Amino acid sequence: MSSARRFLVAFAIAFAVAGAGTASAYHTQWIAQNCNWAAPTPTSYITRDGSITVALYARHEGYQWGGGCWNDNNVDDSPGDPKSDPNTGGEGPDCSGFTFKVWREAVDTSSTAFHQWWRLRHIHGPYRAVHFRDAVGAPNYPLSKSAAIKMDAYAKESHIGMIYVTNADGTDQIIEALGEAYGTNIWTRAYRGNSLYSGVRRLGWSQP
Amino acid sequence: MDGTRVSRVRLGRLSGVIAGVLAGIAAVVLAGTAVAHRIVEPASAPFIEATHVPPLLTARGEEVELRYDVYCGNGEAEADVDTPCAADGVVFVRAGDAGPFREMALREDRSTAEGRFVAALPDDIARSASGFSYHARFQSDQTGLTTGVPAGGADAPQRSLPLGRSIEVALGAHEFGRARETDARVVEAAWGTGSAEVGLEQGRNLTPLGGSAFDVEADGTVVVLDEANKRLLRWRDGRAVEALPVTVNGTLADMTIDDDGTVYVLETTASQGLNPLLRVFDRQGVAQGATAVAGRPSQVRVGPAGPVVLQSQSAQWMPAVVGERPVAMSEQVGAARSGRPLPDGRKVVILRTGDQVRVALVGNAGVLRSWIVHSETPVAEVQLAEPRGTGIVLVTRVFTDDRGEYVVLVLDRRGVTQRFSVGSVEWAETAPLSRFRLRGGSLYQLGSTPAGLFVDRFDLEVN
Repeated sequence: MSSARRFLVAFAIAFAVAGAGTASAYHTQWIAQNCNWAAPTPTSYITRDGSITVALYARHEGYQWGGGCWNDNNVDDSPGDPKSDPNTGGEGPDCSGFTFKVWREAVDTSSTAFHQWWRLRHIHGPYRAVHFRDAVGAPNYPLSKSAAIKMDAYAKESHIGMIYVTNADGTDQIIEALGEAYGTNIWTRAYRGNSLYSGVRRLGWSQP
Repeated sequence: MDGTRVSRVRLGRLSGVIAGVLAGIAAVVLAGTAVAHRIVEPASAPFIEATHVPPLLTARGEEVELRYDVYCGNGEAEADVDTPCAADGVVFVRAGDAGPFREMALREDRSTAEGRFVAALPDDIARSASGFSYHARFQSDQTGLTTGVPAGGADAPQRSLPLGRSIEVALGAHEFGRARETDARVVEAAWGTGSAEVGLEQGRNLTPLGGSAFDVEADGTVVVLDEANKRLLRWRDGRAVEALPVTVNGTLADMTIDDDGTVYVLETTASQGLNPLLRVFDRQGVAQGATAVAGRPSQVRVGPAGPVVLQSQSAQWMPAVVGERPVAMSEQVGAARSGRPLPDGRKVVILRTGDQVRVALVGNAGVLRSWIVHSETPVAEVQLAEPRGTGIVLVTRVFTDDRGEYVVLVLDRRGVTQRFSVGSVEWAETAPLSRFRLRGGSLYQLGSTPAGLFVDRFDLEVN
C-alpha cells in the first residue's frame, strides 16, 4: 500500500471514529450548531420588567443541565436528552444558568455590572443554585422572603426560580428551568414558605 | 535487507498512518468549531402578556385599585428589553355581575415595581353591596398585539365580593417548634420503584420531584400519585395494598378523587405546542378520557358537576368535564369564575393579602360567612380551605427566612374552634397545593424526607 493510500485510509477511519464519538457523547449537538461565544453587551441599567421580557423569550425552549443557550421558536429543539448529563449539548438553560442570564450578571463574581448575554450566547455563568442560595457573588444578596417581589428569586441547594407574579392564594407563579421533562416555563409553586428555600435579590434594579 | 532498513521502512509507513489519524481528528474538531462559531441571533416573535392579582374579597371601607403589569416583546433582538412596554390599557367594570360595563382608561404609574397600570374604582362601584365585576384589555403601541385579562373577557369577568361583617381571627406571633404530633402515619414509603415505593423523577442529582399528589377515599384509603413510576398507589390501615399503572406523562400533577372513586389527574406540563391534560381514570386505573385544559392550570378539585380546574393567570376556576362530557378549552375560558365551586353549590373564595388571609363561603345571594385571619408572622400560601358544616377548615403556612410551619384552623360562626400547627417537611417537590386533604373528621398531610414519602393523619375534634 502506498504512503498516500495509507494516509487516506487512516484519515477516513479517524474521521469516522472521532465524528461518531462526538455524536454519541453530545447527543444533539444543538449548542455546537446554534450558539455563539460572543462578548456580552454592557448596559447601564436593568429593570425587572426587562428581565421578565428576557425570561419570557426563553419560555418553552427546553432545559439543559449546565446549559445557557436558547432560541425563541417556542420549541425544545433537543427534547429527551439524558437527565443528569451536562454534556448533552441541548437547547435551554438550567435553573442557575437561566437566573444568571435573566439577571444579566457578569462572569466576574466580584462585578455587579449589567451584561446582556443574548439568547444564543452559550453561557451558564459561575453560579450554581447553592451559590445563589448563599448569596455568593457581588450582585447577589440575601433577601427576606416576605419582601420578595417579581424577579426576586427563591433558591435552595439544588434549585432556583424567579417570581413572575404572586397569586391570590399566596403561592407564586415562578419562571424557572426545572428539568428535561419540563423545560423552561412558568408554574405555580409554594417555594416562599418552604424552609429549604432562601430569598435572593439581584443588586441594582432600576424601576420598574 | 538489514535490520536498520526494515525499521526505516516501517517507520515511514507508520508515519503515514499517524499523519492520517491526526488529520482526521483535526478535521472533525475544525468542522465542529466552525459550526460552533456561526453567530445567529434571529429576531424573536412579538408578544404581549399581562398579569394581575384580583382583589377577590374586599374589606369594609377599603380603597380598591386594580393593578396590572404588561410585558411586551417587540419582535426584535433583546436590545430594547428595558424600555417599558408602551401599551394602552382599558378596564371594563360594573357593580355586581350583570348589566353594562363602564369603560375606564388605566393610567401608568412608573413609581412602583409592581402593578404599573392602575385604575382606582369609583366609590359607587367599589362600595357596591353586591361587589363588582371587571375585565381589562391591553394593546401594544409598537406591535398592535392585544391581550385580555381574564381571557374570557366580558363573558367571564373577574368577580370581587365585599366581605361585609367578617369574623376576625388574630393569630399573633407564631411559636415555631410546637407542632402537634400526628395521630397516625398512614403512609410511609421509601423512594424507589418497588411495589410499595414512590419514584423520584430526576433521581437525586437534580432537584427532587416525586409523590406529586395524594387524596383520601371515603373509607380512609390513601391514594398517592406516583407520577415518576406512572402509578396510583393505595395504602389502607398503614399498609400498601395496591399499585395500579396509569397512563400519565410522568411529571408533576395534581390529583383529586370523586366520591364514586373516579380519579382526576391534572398535569401541569404538556407535549410541545399543546396544553396540559386533565386525565380521568376509574377506580381501577383504567383511562376514561383526557381533556386539554386552557391556560396554566395548577389545581383540580371536584365541583358540582365534575372536576374544576384553577387557571393561574386569572385565579378563576373552570369546568373541565361536565358529567362525562369533556369541556372544550374555549368553553372552559368562557365559563371561568372566581371562587371554587363546591359540590353542594356554594363557593369558597380565598385571598391572601400581606399577612392576612381572607376566606368566604359564598352562596347565590353573596357571602354567607367570612373570616379575616391576621398574623404577626408572615403568611405564605393557603394550602387548604374546605367547608366543614357551616364553617371551614383552613390550612395556611407561616414562615420566617429559615422556618416554616402550617397553621390549622377550624373556623365557625364563633371564630376559631380548634387550632394547632403541623411541621412542613418537604424534601421533594409536589404539585403546589397538594400537601393537605380533608376527609371526614381527619386532616391528612403529605410530606417527604431524603429517605422517602409519608402521609400523616390528624384527627379533628368533633364539634
